Amino acid sequence: MNTSDMMADIRDNNLSYLMLAQQMVRTDRAAAIFRLGISATLVDLIDNLSPAQIVKLASSNVMLARLRFDDASILGLLTSQSKERALSNAHVAILMAGQSVE
Amino acid sequence: MAIKSVVSEGRQINLATDLIKLGARLQILESETTLSRERLLKLYKELRGMSPPKGMLPFSTDWFIGWQPNIHASVFMDIYYFLVKHAAVKGIDAAITAYKLYLEQLPSEPGIDPLLSLTRAWTLIRFVESKMLIRVECSECHGQFISRAFELHSRYRCGLCHAPSRAGKKKKVDIIVKADSSKTVLMVDSLAA
Repeated sequence: MNTSDMMADIRDNNLSYLMLAQQMVRTDRAAAIFRLGISATLVDLIDNLSPAQIVKLASSNVMLARLRFDDASILGLLTSQSKERALSNAHVAILMAGQSVE
Repeated sequence: MAIKSVVSEGRQINLATDLIKLGARLQILESETTLSRERLLKLYKELRGMSPPKGMLPFSTDWFIGWQPNIHASVFMDIYYFLVKHAAVKGIDAAITAYKLYLEQLPSEPGIDPLLSLTRAWTLIRFVESKMLIRVECSECHGQFISRAFELHSRYRCGLCHAPSRAGKKKKVDIIVKADSSKTVLMVDSLAA
């Protein structure tokens, strides 16, 4: 994959992330805070973005969303093969709910 | 007596409808809404097409300690506290949103009731608020899990980090049985054809 393709993918990702996030916030604000893992202030900000602002923000060449696991050991725990999918889903949900918002 | 407002009554009916759709028992409706028992009964029959089940709500804290129920209960409770802390919702609204999110995280198979019913989830909140059950941090993954109060919790390990050897075996057998029965049905079908 060459660099320009990668940059295009990043911009695509940014755009779909922002559009999805805005849709989630508008459907159910409280649930969106949990699903996205971002603070109420940021959620309100995303809610108020205009389409033009979203496109502008998404067109930067850096990834806007990032991995929600800061702790490498926990990520390792969750990706270990020994667990069933339903169980590791439950584990992810518990650990996500225990984290603070960005 | 409170002044009757049509708008607030409408809101109460909406709340009751949401709760009934999620499977709430009449006791929860009576305690969380201001509607009269007669109106709630009518609403229940209209939505479900049958009378609400009678009898007491489950009152045992032991159910939440078993391996699989504990995981489900912990998922629900952690989401509930997350919402209270970060989304500034509280009370029954937080419980409803948390329950919907719990169903998303641990969906039950079609036709099978979710392991943690709304009634159980609601009693769980009461148990935790009255400190009959508490939340303990797992020493390995640092997630919060439901546990009995008055138990020794130093170096607690959760059921996910340290699963009992027989845990999770039941479901697999069920699926195999189901797969087998569908196979036999297919065979019968092909024979009939």
